[in-house]
Amino acid sequence: MFAPVQSAFAAALLDPERPVPAGLSTHTAAPLNKRFAAYRNNVVVGLVNALGTRFPATQRIVGEEFFRAMARVFVTAHPPRSPLLMTYGDDFPDFIAGFPPTAEMPYLADVARLEAARTRAYHAADAAPLAPEEIACLKSDSLQGLRFLLHPSAQVVRSAHPIVTLWAMNSGERELGPVEDWRPEDALIARPRLEVEVRALPVGGAAFIVQLLAGQTLEEAATAALADAGDFDLARNLAGLIGAGLITGFAIEEPRKELP
Amino acid sequence: MSIESRLPARAGVGFKPVHFRDIVAAVQPLGFFEVHAENYMGAGGPPHAQLSKLRADYALSIHGVGLSIGSPRPLDRAHLARLKALCDRYQPESFSEHLAWSSHGEVYYNDLLPLPYTEETLARVSEHVDEVQNTLGRQMLLENPSTYLMFAESTIPEAEFLRAVSDRTGCGLLLDVNNVFVSATNHGADALDYLARFPLERVKEIHLGGHDEQADDAGAPLLIDAHQAPVVEPVWALYAHVIARTGPVATLIEWDNDVPEWPRVLAEAQRANAILGTAGSAKAA
Amino acid sequence: MNVRKQITAATLASSLAAALAMAAAPAVAAPKPMRADMDKCYGIALKADNDCAAGPGTTCAGTARVDYQGNSWKYVAKGTCTQIPTPKGPGSLTQKA
Repeated sequence: MFAPVQSAFAAALLDPERPVPAGLSTHTAAPLNKRFAAYRNNVVVGLVNALGTRFPATQRIVGEEFFRAMARVFVTAHPPRSPLLMTYGDDFPDFIAGFPPTAEMPYLADVARLEAARTRAYHAADAAPLAPEEIACLKSDSLQGLRFLLHPSAQVVRSAHPIVTLWAMNSGERELGPVEDWRPEDALIARPRLEVEVRALPVGGAAFIVQLLAGQTLEEAATAALADAGDFDLARNLAGLIGAGLITGFAIEEPRKELP
Repeated sequence: MSIESRLPARAGVGFKPVHFRDIVAAVQPLGFFEVHAENYMGAGGPPHAQLSKLRADYALSIHGVGLSIGSPRPLDRAHLARLKALCDRYQPESFSEHLAWSSHGEVYYNDLLPLPYTEETLARVSEHVDEVQNTLGRQMLLENPSTYLMFAESTIPEAEFLRAVSDRTGCGLLLDVNNVFVSATNHGADALDYLARFPLERVKEIHLGGHDEQADDAGAPLLIDAHQAPVVEPVWALYAHVIARTGPVATLIEWDNDVPEWPRVLAEAQRANAILGTAGSAKAA
Repeated sequence: MNVRKQITAATLASSLAAALAMAAAPAVAAPKPMRADMDKCYGIALKADNDCAAGPGTTCAGTARVDYQGNSWKYVAKGTCTQIPTPKGPGSLTQKA
């Protein structure tokens, strides 16, 4: 029966404390440690490499040795649940947030969240942006029931730290240097065409886009953004979305009947 | 009706996105490109843009690495459905997978793990291959693995196991000559003996790649299938030996790690083309 | 008292009109550096994840004990976090409270 051997084999792959499973052999009488280690190494190195590929700025911030050791702890505790490695590490940022050795780097998990969002944006569905002329055609008396459909790749990562600046400095987008103004930054990650773009959002922008992504009307999203930031600038935030090519459709609801 | 695997009998290369610009900058002397299915299972973006361009210009082989055909457990139906969607979209000339397992329970191990060769596993693998072929509506190719260990319970030589799966299911075979060399070395066997048992007439694609050299607990050579280096001379010799018997067969160069510049990979493919060309003209003469 | 600001239909209309005017300005419409044509058509290549082989190297990675148990952690972060001075504390990105 292979099934019990396979179960022991699988369990030992990610747990070096377990002995080499029974039922294995070689053409000599030599012990099997190094042969079984070849599989253990392939599994662990392959998964650690996958995380290094997905989180290059995070790795650059802590250095390769620290990153790979941390990734190895994650891999053994959270191996993939899907054969699609492009999704592996979606929960790595949460792991980093709870990993005590990174406590001195409270921004690190949020930089990793930004990087995880970049991979999702890279593989997200394609959609063509609405032309500004199509948006200009919207009748002003229908705007209160208007919902904008955003590009499937669009995601927001909010942070108490300057994550867009830190990411840019550690991904070659911007020169490495002192972070002149250490303040919260909210990131908009999207791939309107074929290149993943990262932008720092203006105040209230994150709340606004999160509401639009949740399917709220323009009015509801703008109201929520104003509650989040009193100086939210609706025109500027809309211009950002239109300019970035992230509005891909709209739906208009019939005006609600006023309650008596 | 099942679609037969039908790659052109020329050299091909495993596509790496880093080579995309070089590849499309000229007409390449290649019969096909091969991609790993799982990297094209996202909804959109650059992977599909690049694959669509390659597919328009060359024959395509879709090579799965995550279906876990060698597991005693049922196939992952959701994954099989993704493979079907990918094959339906790109209509590849060939689809192939490995005689190996990679998932157990909920966990995906991201490695091609070995199985014993017994009547029990033969029945199970054959069922899985049937299921794949029925779902995809096409013939698949099954690839011989690199192995670092054997199983005490094995009773069937690997080459005969593959022949039996092919007999039962009608699948074609993907002969990885580097894997033959790696496994033979690791198990103190003779690669030529293995090839003598192998049903070469079922081979519709060949893989060539590099390996890493380590040692086992007794200091005996332990070769690791790492796809990080050029094909070694003994593997080229085995390849020529195979091609002399089969005639020209679609031949893939695999270089997945420490990937060099495009011209270096292309040079490996051209060496395969030269061997295929010699065999082709010898056959014609 | 409700101090929540309201969005009127007129605000929506004027904001949308202003947004379209801003978006039409070149500074907003093209904030990103232009890339070569090839990248615009097919995208920047990200390394693919699923491979046939993990590759050699770090051969103890799968067999070494995972050395984070309790509080033992022998690694020191030596990346850019040590190099970028911040206003809050030189030599570290860390925001000193």
